[in-house]
Amino acid sequence: MQNIQRKHAISHRLTSAFVLVFLVAGCGKQKTENDVNLETVYAPEAGGTLVDAMTGEPSGLIPMIAGESAASAVAGNIFNSLLKYDKNLELEGELATSWLVSPDQRTITFTLKPNLKWADGKALTSADVLFTWKLVTDDNTRTPYASDYKLVTKAETPNAQTFRVTYAQPYAPAMDSWAGLQILPKHLLEGQDINTTAFARQPVGSSYYKLESWRNGERISLVRNANSTQGPAKIEHLVSRFIPDAASQFLELLADNIDSMNLNPIQYARIFPARPELIKKIGLYKELGNNYTYLGFNLKHKPFDDIRVRQAINYAINKQEIIDGVLLGLGEPVSSPYKPGTRWSNPNLQPYKYDPAKAIALLKEAGFKDHNRDGILIRDGKPLAFEILTNQNKQREMSAVLIQRRLKEIGIDAKIRVMEWASFVGRFIKTGDFDVVLLGWGLSLDPDQFSIWHSSQQGPGQFNFIGYNNPQVDKLLEQGRMELDPDKRMKIYHEFASVLQEDSPIVYLFAGYGLPAIHKRVKGIDNPAPPAGIGHNSYEWYIPKPLRRTEMSSD
Amino acid sequence: MTKYLLKRLFWMVPLLVGISLISFLIMHLAPGDITTTEASFNPKASEESRQKLRALYHLDEPVLVQYGLWVKRIAALDFGTSFATHQRPVFWDKKDDKGNVSSGMIKQALPITLLINVLSLVLIIAVALPLGVISAVTQNRPPDRAITLFVFIGFAIPSFWLALMLMYWTGVSNNWLPISGLHSVGYEKMAFLAQGWDTLKHLVLPVFISSLGGLAGISLFIRNGMLDVLHQDYITTARAKGLQENTVVYKHALRNALLPLITILGLSIPGLIGGSVIAESIFAIPGMGKLFYDAVLMRDFPVIMGILTIGSALTLVGNLLADLAYAWADPRVRRGISQ
Repeated sequence: MQNIQRKHAISHRLTSAFVLVFLVAGCGKQKTENDVNLETVYAPEAGGTLVDAMTGEPSGLIPMIAGESAASAVAGNIFNSLLKYDKNLELEGELATSWLVSPDQRTITFTLKPNLKWADGKALTSADVLFTWKLVTDDNTRTPYASDYKLVTKAETPNAQTFRVTYAQPYAPAMDSWAGLQILPKHLLEGQDINTTAFARQPVGSSYYKLESWRNGERISLVRNANSTQGPAKIEHLVSRFIPDAASQFLELLADNIDSMNLNPIQYARIFPARPELIKKIGLYKELGNNYTYLGFNLKHKPFDDIRVRQAINYAINKQEIIDGVLLGLGEPVSSPYKPGTRWSNPNLQPYKYDPAKAIALLKEAGFKDHNRDGILIRDGKPLAFEILTNQNKQREMSAVLIQRRLKEIGIDAKIRVMEWASFVGRFIKTGDFDVVLLGWGLSLDPDQFSIWHSSQQGPGQFNFIGYNNPQVDKLLEQGRMELDPDKRMKIYHEFASVLQEDSPIVYLFAGYGLPAIHKRVKGIDNPAPPAGIGHNSYEWYIPKPLRRTEMSSD
Repeated sequence: MTKYLLKRLFWMVPLLVGISLISFLIMHLAPGDITTTEASFNPKASEESRQKLRALYHLDEPVLVQYGLWVKRIAALDFGTSFATHQRPVFWDKKDDKGNVSSGMIKQALPITLLINVLSLVLIIAVALPLGVISAVTQNRPPDRAITLFVFIGFAIPSFWLALMLMYWTGVSNNWLPISGLHSVGYEKMAFLAQGWDTLKHLVLPVFISSLGGLAGISLFIRNGMLDVLHQDYITTARAKGLQENTVVYKHALRNALLPLITILGLSIPGLIGGSVIAESIFAIPGMGKLFYDAVLMRDFPVIMGILTIGSALTLVGNLLADLAYAWADPRVRRGISQ
């Protein structure tokens, strides 16, 4: 084999040389010169190409139809919404310059910025916003996201710059929903079937970039939109390559073929520190991710209806150990379903401390005892044993193992079962046929958690599948939905989170960091990352001319 | 002979129906459907919307009704559109009234996978043939042992590991080959010849990796076929009448030893359209393996059925072709068929 590889390499070098003679240049890949100092400070300038890697390919670029994260990542550079979240995750206007909530809190009036244009030069007006709202609420539109928008009882456009929506009753998550609805061009989509339209693969938007080309299964290239409603971006081309395998992405990053990717904890905490030559050319960043991992109890099953059992398990699990072992320290414990450091997160809440003695005391109080001295606690003749269900996700599997060991120490016999996602949801979640699950939820930007915790949301396919039922929480969730004043809303959700924490229907395990690695040729990145993550100002990033890749500079 | 051919073709129809029915049923045995995989855990996606989607895709009907609907479409060679978002056509390109083309998913992935698999099949045979012959001729002597060892290492080595090692060696440590993908980022701006060279460079590693595993089977097959033949009386006769050893081996023995290879080639025709998920993921190649794997995970029934149907049709055709080729190559078989 050695022999064949060597032959192979030699013949390759020969053919290489052969072809080079004929083509002279244009196919060789030149690396950035090593003598360019990446740490030099350069003034911002426009131009250049940033190549990044994505694990999946978008199915299309109409965000309300495509649900996957790959689609939203690309579409976010092409389309605008009325509102957006700023770097501290507070709402601000994007297409809207201002918005007004009526005194009865039922009507919201958005005023659009003047002279907005689509990438093709046509004017962007409130008619487009109305069109998009009609589209998302249309019964023929195959979108799972219609419910928020269907609550609008009246949508109107008094003039080309004003869009007004009225709700039957005050609905606070509305603001978040208008930050989530990306506005589509009426003049290009009217009369088309939104589900199958070719627009999904050749979109025209209004944001910083527009689609340049899309090679199926290979990459999407975006180019700066001269008519951007948000002003010009600095980097000229954004290329996203689809590379499903994380190891291959990493090799591409090492070979300088891509500028950025998301690292896993091992790459971040083990490989990079061991290779100083990588740190010299690649910048590492850390941002809190958008979801948390938890251990959830089926509250309809015994013994999880007993708060002492739930709290005991919470005390028995060492969260820091999981963060250190599974995430190599690259995560944070959470104690509410909100991003730490944002308005909605209650700063007074602390995670349950690791305290096995307290856990044992609580279980004893609940009537559990090791009658037959086999190390497993028993109550009413039944051993304290259950199955922890999770889906095929390495971090979750590893967490389950650490939890299993800690539970064993206090006399609980936990088994682990790992399932493929669709089977997991179909067989266990929808039927409610589980004891304990290890899953994740989003750290939502809007604090409304009605669909996850309200007692009315327990039907098959709904999200309160753990069966949480607490009248106090129900009332807070209802209040929070009706209150549009951010400060009053904040108090409601701080209280909600503290009741939830005390009740312990789930054990918050951790929120992991996103770990972007970006080549140091890219300048203008905010470090450390604000709550919104490093991407919040990506339109201000720039690549100084001396640092650009030679073969790709188009200007 | 024509009668035989017609009979075989006729029997393919019930076989295909049976295969598709069983595939359809097994596919529906797996729990979940597209609405459990798509946006299933997004609190913004309500259960009512999901029920609506289910009804739109006829997923709320009994399985046999769904199968009937599928057969009705497939009878007109309509493979339908993907359940996944944006409903790309499964096989054929579709043009809307404005002249915009949505390309078929299989139609796009198939040529890529075919190219890689045909190239690697050619490579396998080109390498396995001499290896097998040398092995047989030097049976139980060092060259034979070395070749057997080499092909077994190739067979046993985890291909994803070797792929990553080679990617590192040829792409990171040295700047010889691209690491992944099918085309470089600047591909569109290259001259025609440069484009071909670029594609070729991207194909080297995937083709090499996917050949390595197949080498062992084919070369051992040829070795054993050769050994059988070399012990036949007519070879002894050929040697006895003073023919050169090369003539004996390559003209008299090899041609007879190649017969079983026809069967193998026939059977490998359906394999040509099935890509390897692992290799395609590592090399970021948008081929059939990845397409099928993703469709299964997403429960994208039209795509799964499309690929299975094409696969099973090709398997049946491959069997038929193998039998025909056998008859063409071997008079004894030919006589059996015409009787």
